[in-house]
Amino acid sequence: MLFSLVMLATSSEEGGLGPFAVNPGLMIWTWLVFITLFLLLRRFAWPAILSATEAREKKIADQLAEAERLNAEAATSLEEHKKLLAGSKEEAQTLIADAKQLADKERDQILSRAREEQEQMLDRAKREIDAERDRALTELRKVAVELSLAAASKLVEQNLDDDSNRKFVADYLDSLGERN
Amino acid sequence: MIQEHAQEQAQESVNVGEIVLHHTADASEIEFDLIFTHLGPYHLPHWNDIHVGGLTLNLSPTKHVVFMLIAAFLVFVSMWVTGRMLKAQRADQGAPRGFANAMEAFVLFVRDDIAIAGVGKEMGAKYAPFIMSIFFFILYSNLLGLVPYGASPTGNLAITAALAILSFLAIEIGGMMKLGMGGYMRTIFPKVPGMTGAPAMAMSMAMAPIEVLGKLVKPFALAVRLFGNMTAGHFVILSLFGIIFLFGQLEIWRWAIGFATAGLVTLIMMLELFIAFLQAYVFALLTATFIGLMQHEH
Repeated sequence: MLFSLVMLATSSEEGGLGPFAVNPGLMIWTWLVFITLFLLLRRFAWPAILSATEAREKKIADQLAEAERLNAEAATSLEEHKKLLAGSKEEAQTLIADAKQLADKERDQILSRAREEQEQMLDRAKREIDAERDRALTELRKVAVELSLAAASKLVEQNLDDDSNRKFVADYLDSLGERN
Repeated sequence: MIQEHAQEQAQESVNVGEIVLHHTADASEIEFDLIFTHLGPYHLPHWNDIHVGGLTLNLSPTKHVVFMLIAAFLVFVSMWVTGRMLKAQRADQGAPRGFANAMEAFVLFVRDDIAIAGVGKEMGAKYAPFIMSIFFFILYSNLLGLVPYGASPTGNLAITAALAILSFLAIEIGGMMKLGMGGYMRTIFPKVPGMTGAPAMAMSMAMAPIEVLGKLVKPFALAVRLFGNMTAGHFVILSLFGIIFLFGQLEIWRWAIGFATAGLVTLIMMLELFIAFLQAYVFALLTATFIGLMQHEH
């Protein structure tokens, strides 16, 4: 490119190409001027003009990266929390189930114990009632014997209070009890 | 009296074409026609030719060299001042304002919407200083042509070619650095899809001249586009002025023609102002895009 242009230029020097004439010396000048300008601008002008913008861009990029990082972090922690929550839910469920089971067992135990106690109490009461009744019966019987004897001795006016007579009456009463 | 003068002018038979070429062409002196005629043409020094190998170079400064230096000086001063002002304004905890703010917005536009948009996000910031420098250098050079007594260095094919060669080097060397030597050679000897072995190699070799031509056409187009646009604009303006000279001998009509031409030239000047920005934009954007294309070649 450069070579062909230079060739064109040198061949057309004084060749009457008019506005299309290319002066290679001018190309050297252009490079000299532009490269100097470029270096000066790069050193003294562009950084001063762009520094604020570049700093802002860098800040924004950093913030975006930070936001992305935080977002990822939040996502992982959310996942973790979800997992944790699921775990704790399960745990709670098992705890509740355990408690329920325990409560059921306890209730059953208490119920059975209460029933047992009740039965025991009933038994005891029945036994006591029986015993009481027996005692009352014997007492009644004794009193009845005494009364009968007293009445009989009054009636007979005899010495009927000997043991044979007492036994006779008792036997009689017994036979009455058996009849009933 | 006026009639005599007009006739005199007509007798001189003004050659508009020559005026046009004379005013757009490079020169070894700077003229101060009309108002500052008494300053006379300033003759630039003439240096002897230098022989480098088979080439004959003449590094004598010309009119375009002077205006190129003025453009470079103005670019540097405006940007440097902008940087200083921005720093001072920021140090005051204030937002940028005024001239500095406008220039900052302009520079940022070039950086973001030309350099980074063209080259790509990752490498854009690295090439931005080059793109910004070339943009503002071309812009100022273009605008200098619209200033009275000014000339557009970018209306000279040698200068646009030199700038295009710099773009070419940025494109190709940037590509080499990014792709590595092997990857870069792939851009000359392309991989032919759907072929293997010897036919693929033959095809690749056949494609090489086209690829090389494709590489060379880009800077050539850049150079000719910029040069053509700037030169053509000046041609149009000067040709319109030429109308005044052509019809200057007419009795009354010359006034009407003069005003009409002045109006037309004003319109064309506005168009030129737009084109000055547009061509700087196009040159910078295409350079950035070509660099970007090369960076993403694979």
